Amino acid sequence: MTTHETIRQLLALSAAGLLDAADERRVREHVRECAECATALDDLAAVSAGLGRLPTPMAPPDLLARTEARVAAELAAQAGLRHGALLAVAAGLFAWMAALTTWGLYRLLTGSAGWLAWLVLTTVPAYMAAGAVAVMFASRRRLEKSLL
Amino acid sequence: MIDQAAHFEDVPVAEPDEIARLRRRDSAALASVVARYQHRLYRYLRRLVREPAAADDLFQQTWLNVARQIGRYDSRRGFDTWLFAIAHNAAMDLLRRKTGESLEESGRALAAAEPDALSAAMASERTAILSSEMAGLSAPYREVLTLRFEEGMKLEEIAEVTRAPLSTVKSRVGRALETLREQMTARYRKEDLL
Repeated sequence: MTTHETIRQLLALSAAGLLDAADERRVREHVRECAECATALDDLAAVSAGLGRLPTPMAPPDLLARTEARVAAELAAQAGLRHGALLAVAAGLFAWMAALTTWGLYRLLTGSAGWLAWLVLTTVPAYMAAGAVAVMFASRRRLEKSLL
Repeated sequence: MIDQAAHFEDVPVAEPDEIARLRRRDSAALASVVARYQHRLYRYLRRLVREPAAADDLFQQTWLNVARQIGRYDSRRGFDTWLFAIAHNAAMDLLRRKTGESLEESGRALAAAEPDALSAAMASERTAILSSEMAGLSAPYREVLTLRFEEGMKLEEIAEVTRAPLSTVKSRVGRALETLREQMTARYRKEDLL
């Protein structure tokens, strides 16, 4: 590839201000001696300048308000989801602690150490309660999203 | 919507304390950032998808995605490039689903629309024609031109937004400008270009 062809390929990037200093210098030196490339560079520079002056399409006046409302609803839904997750964890912990405290009472009433029956009768409902809280908040989240 | 010759390059970017408030999901901070970026982001989306209704939807979708993903924002990166990358992803999803919109690089995706009478009256004829010629380019070319000449982004920033290699960005900018030059010089004599 000749110098002319190499430089010719750099002209658009030169007009766009995207060449490094060394390449920019090569372009400037070449266009001083090459009328064809000088003309092309002038044209490209004119197009580049024109692109920087294009009319800006204006956003509809209500777009900002509509976007803010949707984003606020999204943030509220996220906060609700985090709150729901925390509540589900707290409910699970509370239920499990309550189940543990019933261990002594269970032994006293049944007179035996039937730990498996106790586990089934207490722990399972505890996790079911926590699951129910989580499902409740997930349903609310779906409803809020459907209303957006 | 009427186009106005307004420029928003110097609008300040999001500040570090504002980013911290965004991370805490502060709705007032988010509303402030949305307002600050509205013209630039809307302009980018309009250049990319062309249709006002689609740009409107994408604008809202972009900010919803920002609200969802702000926890993943790395403050060492520029907020502008992060925001525009989110908008880029949403726009590319839309353009892939749309029939008749090419994501291939080509000089001419559509015949340039004739500028409407009002915009021609408001802007100079040549600016209106350049705008319509640009709108006729393929999406990858329109995108790099608006990011470079309207957003003033550097090559690296454009590459980050478009997730394209630097060499691809260079090639797109070069070919897009060459295509516009050919089209404009075919319409005007050289001395009339400026």
